[in-house]
Amino acid sequence: MSDTSSAGTNFPRRDARDKLRGRTRYTVDQGRPGMLHAVLLRAEVPSARLLSVDTAIARKMPGVRAIATAADAPGRHGIGIADHPLFATGCIRYDSEPIAAVAADTLAQAEAAAAAIIIELEPLPAVISMEDALAAGAPLVHPQWRDYEVLLEGAARGGNVAWEATVVRGDTAAAFARPDVRIIESAFQVGRQNHLSFEPRAVVASYEDGRFHIETSTQVPWTVRNVTARILDIPASQVRVTVPAVGGGFGLKFDCALEPFAAILAREAGRPVRLVNSRQEEMLTCLCRENAEIQIRSAVTEDGEIVGREAVVLMDCGAYGGEQIFLTTMTAHTLGGNYRLGSVKIASRAIYTNTAPNGAFRACNGVYNTFALERHTDEICDAIGMDPLEFRRRNVLGDGDLGATGQVFEGNVLGPMLDRMAGLREAKPSKKPLAGDRLYGRATTVGTWFVFVGPSAATVNLNADGSATLVTSGVEIGSGSMMQSLPQIVASTLGLRPEDVIVRTADTDGSGFDLGVGGGRTTVSLGAASQAASAEVRRKLLGIASEMLQTAPERLVLENGRIEIIGIKGSGTTIAKVAERAQQVVGPLSGSGSFTGPGVAAMAGCARGHFIEAIDIPVFAVHECEVAVDPETGHVEVLGYTVVQDVGRAINPRAIHGQIQGGVVQGLGYALHEEVTIDANGRIRQASLETYRVPLAQDVVPVEISLYEGAPSIGPLGTKGAGEVPILNVAATIACAVSNATRRQVQQLPLTPPRVLELILGRGAALSFPHIANAWRDNVLTPIS
Amino acid sequence: MSLHLNVNGEARISSCDPLTPLVDVLRDEFFLTGAKVVCREGFCGACTVLVDGHPIMSCLLPAGMAAGCEILTVESLASGGNLSPLQQAFEDYDAVQCGMCFPGMLMTLTSFLKQEPNPTRDDIKTALVGNICRCTGYERIVDAALSLIPTA
Amino acid sequence: MDMKNRESLYVAASLADAVDALADRGAAGAPLAGATWIMRAGLRQEKRDLAYVALTKIDELGQVAILDHQIRIGACVTHAQLAILLSGLPECRALAEAAGRSANPAIRQMATIGGNLCTVNFAAADLVPALICLDTRVELLTRKGTEEVSIEKFLALRAHLDPDCLVRSVVIPRKACRSAHIRLPLRKAGDYPVAIVSVAAELGSGNMVESARVAVGSVEPTARRWEELESALVGRRLDPGYAAELAERHTESFQGRDGIEASGWYRIKVLPSLVRRAFQTIERQV
Repeated sequence: MSDTSSAGTNFPRRDARDKLRGRTRYTVDQGRPGMLHAVLLRAEVPSARLLSVDTAIARKMPGVRAIATAADAPGRHGIGIADHPLFATGCIRYDSEPIAAVAADTLAQAEAAAAAIIIELEPLPAVISMEDALAAGAPLVHPQWRDYEVLLEGAARGGNVAWEATVVRGDTAAAFARPDVRIIESAFQVGRQNHLSFEPRAVVASYEDGRFHIETSTQVPWTVRNVTARILDIPASQVRVTVPAVGGGFGLKFDCALEPFAAILAREAGRPVRLVNSRQEEMLTCLCRENAEIQIRSAVTEDGEIVGREAVVLMDCGAYGGEQIFLTTMTAHTLGGNYRLGSVKIASRAIYTNTAPNGAFRACNGVYNTFALERHTDEICDAIGMDPLEFRRRNVLGDGDLGATGQVFEGNVLGPMLDRMAGLREAKPSKKPLAGDRLYGRATTVGTWFVFVGPSAATVNLNADGSATLVTSGVEIGSGSMMQSLPQIVASTLGLRPEDVIVRTADTDGSGFDLGVGGGRTTVSLGAASQAASAEVRRKLLGIASEMLQTAPERLVLENGRIEIIGIKGSGTTIAKVAERAQQVVGPLSGSGSFTGPGVAAMAGCARGHFIEAIDIPVFAVHECEVAVDPETGHVEVLGYTVVQDVGRAINPRAIHGQIQGGVVQGLGYALHEEVTIDANGRIRQASLETYRVPLAQDVVPVEISLYEGAPSIGPLGTKGAGEVPILNVAATIACAVSNATRRQVQQLPLTPPRVLELILGRGAALSFPHIANAWRDNVLTPIS
Repeated sequence: MSLHLNVNGEARISSCDPLTPLVDVLRDEFFLTGAKVVCREGFCGACTVLVDGHPIMSCLLPAGMAAGCEILTVESLASGGNLSPLQQAFEDYDAVQCGMCFPGMLMTLTSFLKQEPNPTRDDIKTALVGNICRCTGYERIVDAALSLIPTA
Repeated sequence: MDMKNRESLYVAASLADAVDALADRGAAGAPLAGATWIMRAGLRQEKRDLAYVALTKIDELGQVAILDHQIRIGACVTHAQLAILLSGLPECRALAEAAGRSANPAIRQMATIGGNLCTVNFAAADLVPALICLDTRVELLTRKGTEEVSIEKFLALRAHLDPDCLVRSVVIPRKACRSAHIRLPLRKAGDYPVAIVSVAAELGSGNMVESARVAVGSVEPTARRWEELESALVGRRLDPGYAAELAERHTESFQGRDGIEASGWYRIKVLPSLVRRAFQTIERQV
């Protein structure tokens, strides 16, 4: 029996005080004696043959200690395909691609030397948009794509199509041919979103005793370790990664970034090397949420039954595949999610362009796929004349229903969440009067995301003073899961106060493998591993206590730092005393635990080119908002916002509320303000915060939040990840509300005032994609039987 | 030539070029790394410090122009082991996430609440126009600041 | 050249000192006030290798004199100071509003009126259209002495001023007018407005518009008066809705500036709405 009193409480975070006093040392605040400063020489063209890189003059400049180029980094890395060298090798594939790295005594010296490197280029034609990339006879971003090492077999690739994932379930042709259906077709387009984590990507690397020590601002210490080794062609055991407090991640730091550059320079110079991206570099090379184009059509009966659905999603991966290769998988579970489908065909393609690579960003393509799906759903409702709430109530996935890939969903969750939202709506007056003379709109949307489970390891040491030390490769990126949920999970298993659980931050030399902090997995995967490690300690602890108290372990309870005989307060002793006793008789108490995803099954043969065919832990969300739209300027004001979120179980409700408020506001930025556009030379135009506009305090509203508990979850104590999903359906909800307010079809994001005014005035043509074929089958390379 | 600066009540001397942004002197020479460099353009507010009592963006102030002024950074707010009332409110409201914006938020709001002891929620939000937070969605920061306002 | 001329930053102690220092440096020198624009030069890919002469320690440049017939504002008065000092003057509402809402509070503590006027490439400067609508004159100082020019003339000249020429003050005539400044940022605040309309009007009995100056900022590279609209307004009763209709009819002379944040089309399209809002604000003041 375990006391879980510390779960379900608003345990504060122990890093708050130092953060508030300006004492926390993030990677950007780190220094070392003799530390050098590094910069990257970056390309200023989107596509060129790189004929020569001459560093002779630069090497002789004052203060220069090391210069690295492609010759120092032989390996290529990637997800699914190893297509990405560290430095531009042989050719330049995007504006701002690194060509060389320089370390010098001062940053100014490094900058001067980088400017003195002579490069010789021969311009090559570039493909800037996905339309360019898919045009007949388009130049290939990777002419040698066939030669790359394939890390996951089974996907179709070809030319500028970096990766293709498909889903085929049932006979859509028959569904679309039925006489009793309406066919509704929609098209959508979204731009990129920059994470704008306040701490840029930053690293301090050193090389000692034949090993690298990389101190870095990352979400994935083990990826940094393994990718650095791969790029440098050295054993991974030669790389140690440690992670101080991380000043914001949001997915940006879910990949190896600057670390190998600093490592190579540190080895050459024999001195620690600091490399930090400037904000401008962050703006131009951020691994953004990708721009995408979506075509979707559905065959729907008069009663609102979706008998067939076909969709094509093009995701711009930029010059290298990166995370988008994996994310082609997630289209099936997002655009193909939420609703029961009689039959379905989905093609999800990552497309190479001569632009900066994209990456992972909180809920990734789920955000725009949910936008597309929910707007399409509202267009269906318009076409068949059904109330959008009624349509959703009838069609959302429930217990025993099949997802797109044929996985069987467990439990009725979305339906009751819609009912919860209806209750919240009815309990308060509409905010319509606040709209005044402006156009008013309201919308409710549903969304499905998942917990990116995967492997985690944990060790728990129970100290003789009654404290416990939790050792994992987790890092604190700001969400609080390392500061709040993990100590709460360990404490609840061991009967300790969470403040008595010390959480060691990541050190790949000290802790086992972990997939990284992201995908809502910290509380679930690291939490489950930590719980398993704690359970082992608990067993040992109870064994010793049983002898000391002359009572069977089943009759003992752990609570408040004590072990008591059930029902008899004060009968036992302190956990510290038992731990001390254990140390004397059997040695210090420790336990280890590990976890990985259980691997829920999909229907055989439905999914091709997928990294995961079914989602182990689905997470659901229902959002609702009210907006006012200024018909003269196109400004959208959010009047009210409500979230019902499936959290499994809320072990720290206050912390989850903080994640929801923050996630919704990032979503408002994506929906309304944050725009990335690319000029004809493949350069991102929004190079600073002057033009990349994130929400400010006046642009946001307090989100009304209801945590939906009780949905099935394999997470520890029944938890699900709560930090990633709040952003999922914000753009969808805002877009549907703006559509309702303006009576126009919203097809694009973000809904900046100029775009909304164009929409209201009917300026600009409807979207059409010449590079997406009308017949679904003509869009895929995968052989479909 | 050296610059004489008064930082958190201490006389400090810097040998930097006088056009060096004050934030770089504070961080690199005096190891006061509380103020953060995020945008270097005066939009994010993470480098906000008080100069003669006014919040300013220390990324845009040449150190040479700060000579003779009284400079206060986030490191000056707590005294002994005690957080300032505003810092304490932020902790009590579980407002902190990644923490990078808080040094600037604290300096802006500390100065604002001194000048405007009875602000409304909207007033506080207006005062924060130059302080971006990417994590929290702001409302809890505003709640914490409002908690310090004595209700009439 | 003596030692101080080689420094990147010289803090001038007096006006005469500043003018001398600028004259000594010639084309290699430049005045520096709030520093908020110049310190960002590198991010605009502009060189910043000039020898700067800081003006902010010169007492006179920080003074505001509110006299019966005019208001004289020293070039280094900050936006924050202006917003406070002008808040009680009905005819200066436009300028107080421009100063009090531009950029963000910390920038308003630093940025000066002189800097705002002299920044040639800053199309979205808030103070400039407000100063235009208030019929401001700009006092220039060189070694030869002072000279006063209209703000329109100053804007035409400002890219070509002699190296030793400083803006000393701006002078606003006091009139029995009402004024308003309507800015349109893309968020609620905190960004540069994509369009600005500043209006000053003298009203006679029955709210008859006796004179009107309308200035438009951010739409074109440099703020300017909207004279067609001004003439159309004079002699009519103050009617915000009708003013917007007149504005709608007279937008063809604008060449909207295409920017990353908004196209020229949008900047022009919103002008009638901003004109209506400006006159509604004035109507509320009556």
